[in-house]
Amino acid sequence: MAELATSLRRGTLEFCVLAMVEHEDRYGTEIVRRFGEEPNLAASEGTIYPLLSRLRRVGWLDSKWAESPSGPPRRYYALTGDGRSALAHFRTEWVSFRQTVDRLVGTGEAA
Amino acid sequence: MNTKNTDVVAEYLHEVDVRLAGLPVLQRRELLADLAAHIASERAERNIQTEGELIEVLERLGSPDVVAAAAHEEFGPAVAPPSAKKRIPWYWPAAAIATVVVVLFLCAGAFFWSSSSGPEPSIEQVTPVPAPSMAPSR
Repeated sequence: MAELATSLRRGTLEFCVLAMVEHEDRYGTEIVRRFGEEPNLAASEGTIYPLLSRLRRVGWLDSKWAESPSGPPRRYYALTGDGRSALAHFRTEWVSFRQTVDRLVGTGEAA
Repeated sequence: MNTKNTDVVAEYLHEVDVRLAGLPVLQRRELLADLAAHIASERAERNIQTEGELIEVLERLGSPDVVAAAAHEEFGPAVAPPSAKKRIPWYWPAAAIATVVVVLFLCAGAFFWSSSSGPEPSIEQVTPVPAPSMAPSR
């Protein structure tokens, strides 16, 4: 079952990350903690950082270091214009994808 | 105590770094800096004092194997394919054609050899000839 969860996560987790910084910038530890509360989503917290790095390098996220009121500097992540488009595109794709799978697998409300 | 805690963190980061071998240096440095910042944030914001609490933070991050595997998955494929794609169109068709030519040549050779050696009297007549010629030369 762990492999199934990994497969389902692949390709969807990054959009959950984008959605998390859609309305306000968040720092790495904050994003990671939030995923830690969702056992279906992240195997372990440390795996989120390579994902954040990739999303930044493809230009969907921006990051900047900022001083923290309490403790060490924080790296804040923000959604870019490209990231916003990618998230919007995912939302439409996901809805039709989910409906198709629900229909075929028999997990939809009508089933 | 603080020195001991720092040792645990340094050891953890070193173990991750060792497993990042082969990845671009800047991506390695970035990940290690992110992990170090995460640990520092957790220590400050959760007011972590004991080594036990710090180890819990590291366990939530995941074992060095798990974290490094995620890094290889995210960073690895993006670097490898471009060079591989450039080479395949040039070398593979040539190698494939060469292989086909060699195989055809061998097949044709085998066919002509078997069809031409078929009607010939027999091998027994051939072998006695070199045998005597070899014997005197020794």
